[in-house]
Amino acid sequence: MNSSIPVSAVISAIRPLAQDVSLYTLQTEPGNLAASSFLAGQFLELSLPGVGEIPVSYCGYPTKDGSIELCIRHIGHVTIPLKTSAAGNVVALRGPFGVGFPMSAYNGQDLVLIAGGLGMAPLRSLLLTLLARRKRYGKITVLYGARDAESLLFLDELLELQRQGAIALSLAVDRTDHGLANVPGCRIVLLPELLDQLAIDPGRTFAAVCGPPVVYPYLVSALQVMALPDDRIHLSLERRMKCGVGRCGHCAVGRYLCCVDGPVFSCAQLAGIEGALG
Amino acid sequence: MVARFLEISNLKALLNLLRQRGPVHGPLRGADGVVRFASLTRGVLPDLSASRTMLPPKKYLLYPRERILTYTDHEGYRVPAEPGLPLILFGVHPCDLAGVNYLDKIFLGDDPDPLYSARRARLILVGSSCIPDRFCSCHASPSPLQALSDLFLHTVDGGFILTSESACGDELLARMQSVLEECTMDVPEDTRRFFGSTDAVPVIAEPEATGPEWQECADHCLGCGACSVCCPTCSCFDVLEFGGLDGCSAERVRQWDNCLFKGHAQVAGGLSFRKDRAERFRYRYWHKYGGFGPLRDVVSCVGCGRCRVACPTGIDLRQLAGQLDKGGK
Amino acid sequence: MRKIRLAIAGLTACSGCQLSLLNCEDELPELVERFEFSFFPLACSPAELTGEYDAAMVEGCLSMPHEKELLLELRARSRYLIALGTCAVWGGIATLRNGENREQLRQLVYGQNPVADATFDPKSLKDLVQVDAGIVGCPPETAELLRLLAGLLRGALPEAIDYPVCTECNMREKLCLLLGQNKICLGLLTSGGCGAKCPSLSVPCEGCRGPALETNLEESFDVYARHGFDRLAVRGRLRRFCPEWLL
Repeated sequence: MNSSIPVSAVISAIRPLAQDVSLYTLQTEPGNLAASSFLAGQFLELSLPGVGEIPVSYCGYPTKDGSIELCIRHIGHVTIPLKTSAAGNVVALRGPFGVGFPMSAYNGQDLVLIAGGLGMAPLRSLLLTLLARRKRYGKITVLYGARDAESLLFLDELLELQRQGAIALSLAVDRTDHGLANVPGCRIVLLPELLDQLAIDPGRTFAAVCGPPVVYPYLVSALQVMALPDDRIHLSLERRMKCGVGRCGHCAVGRYLCCVDGPVFSCAQLAGIEGALG
Repeated sequence: MVARFLEISNLKALLNLLRQRGPVHGPLRGADGVVRFASLTRGVLPDLSASRTMLPPKKYLLYPRERILTYTDHEGYRVPAEPGLPLILFGVHPCDLAGVNYLDKIFLGDDPDPLYSARRARLILVGSSCIPDRFCSCHASPSPLQALSDLFLHTVDGGFILTSESACGDELLARMQSVLEECTMDVPEDTRRFFGSTDAVPVIAEPEATGPEWQECADHCLGCGACSVCCPTCSCFDVLEFGGLDGCSAERVRQWDNCLFKGHAQVAGGLSFRKDRAERFRYRYWHKYGGFGPLRDVVSCVGCGRCRVACPTGIDLRQLAGQLDKGGK
Repeated sequence: MRKIRLAIAGLTACSGCQLSLLNCEDELPELVERFEFSFFPLACSPAELTGEYDAAMVEGCLSMPHEKELLLELRARSRYLIALGTCAVWGGIATLRNGENREQLRQLVYGQNPVADATFDPKSLKDLVQVDAGIVGCPPETAELLRLLAGLLRGALPEAIDYPVCTECNMREKLCLLLGQNKICLGLLTSGGCGAKCPSLSVPCEGCRGPALETNLEESFDVYARHGFDRLAVRGRLRRFCPEWLL
């Protein structure tokens, strides 16, 4: 397979997650590499025929049956028209592309996953990967913030995992119009403030962060205050990855290309790069 | 290395022999005074004394705007067929040969771009020596990029010395036996000596993000895009998709893009990661003198001087590089 | 596939943009199959607004009270409101005398004859309603028009063009008319997308597509000045299609 040519896939299910956010399940041929061999944090290029192509982070766990989960927010040139699509419609995809989270480094370590808004999508993929071999890892903490309670994605899944004791969970929302009563343990604070109550062992902890660019500087400095070294902070960046294979030139971050050197970078890699952290 | 002499009066005959292999394109000066690579039809001689063409050879490998995929509901996405006919590009200067070498690094390799690789495979490059003018900077610093060609013409008194660089070049020399003579004089110093340097890459200044030079460039930049269009190694492209009126077909198009345009670093929702033009200049500088991703530390300016000729306000990145260098970095 | 329901209307303008669509003779049969031209006074009768529209495409600028009413009505009934052509997007040539005394202008044209409608200083659509997308040009390129329609079939709107005419002219390897021939070509400041149609035929760009997404007006004035055109001359040219250049 040449990575320049999108392969057809069928939308098999669409599950609304929040206002303008849905979980799309795509079906490709069983054994398709785009479905079976990706790392959490990698992305694929999703085509809506006749409309265009966009980079989307993986949201699920690799499958052998050719199914792929993608979390889509209907905000852009491609995703708005996609909103009218239905199960059975055809899309196309290329991938996987980029560098994902360094799973082998996480063996025997505590993990703190920090997600803001739609940033939960790639971190859910990471979480599923960690849970698939739960015994390999130490404590897993998920800190998740969104603008309101309705925008918290995969809340049922997360609460269930918390109930089972697989993860520790802290939730934050920016504002409370209604609905907060149904979300146990959710606080009305900004996402970085969730770190205030967290105790970590900086020598055996990794943080994986994904959220809107605006929160990165705050999260990173909060983690640094907790003495977590820069090479133990991993961030997933969003850029305009048009080709996915390091050619089109749009997704440069400093002298890295987000599509081939990222989208997951360590904070140490990004040190001193203008605009890297939003 | 095989070397043969071509008397200048035999150039036309040589081109006729080349034409048996495929269409020949070379630098031609139009009625408007613009020099372009264009078809050298029978009887037409290339302008081998011109300093540079307006567009570099990249226009033969990556078209300014081209269909890269077609889509039908029935077949899905497909790469459009590319004719396999050879194309001979005649009279390519070393800087432009090095430019092709850089594009090869981006578009060939393990996972080649289908259209680029098809076109590259059928492209026969005939290089020619040249004399740098005041806009050129190929001789200012050696480049690790290689000025590779199939045949190379060294200008000498009364004609050219032809050297072959590849199996294809050997074949061409054999084909042109009748118009060539044994070479009795020494092959002159190769004007490609600035390229293919195995010496250490010159240290490129680390640009200070807050320096005033960036804003100065930004203030002068008109955003016209001329600098990247004419650059032999600028290959940023935008990708667009257009649906058919039938509702079940589409085409995907790529077109040359410019890092100084507003949309270059914009993502869905309108957020741009390089909002102001000074930031975009730093990006451009890095791309030319630093390199990104897998081509980090490969300087991609080949010194052809085109951007300096083309810029309506005379912005000169090389001068900036010099300034930054003097800054004692 | 459900037909896309369209309303196509002309306000103060020459109808050229709508005619460009009617001139797509080869595509018209296919268009009629995919689209319901439900309201298109220039081409179909009866012309009555009924129900809701997937998209309203509006040519021209606003200069009369009844046009405001029509535009508000179209906006209310349509999912997408699309400005068709430079007049709709920027105001266009009808705005050339904006700011002057309208009564004097009226008398200049009509003398003492009565005029049925009151008029006001012409303005672009975005001055009154939210415009979801626009395509520029006087008239727009037919390819752009057809792409716009093909996009609507899929619920997509055209993406903004971020390069000026100059870029396309350079891509076509044409002699620069400003730098090379001292002609007052507006390609530097004008939105691309036309393929540098005029300059590539050695006709200086008139700026009919309106301002490029991002321009450097001050520096451009300097360039024009170096080639013999003062600010006044350049501005006069620029504002023929876009009064907003009069900054």
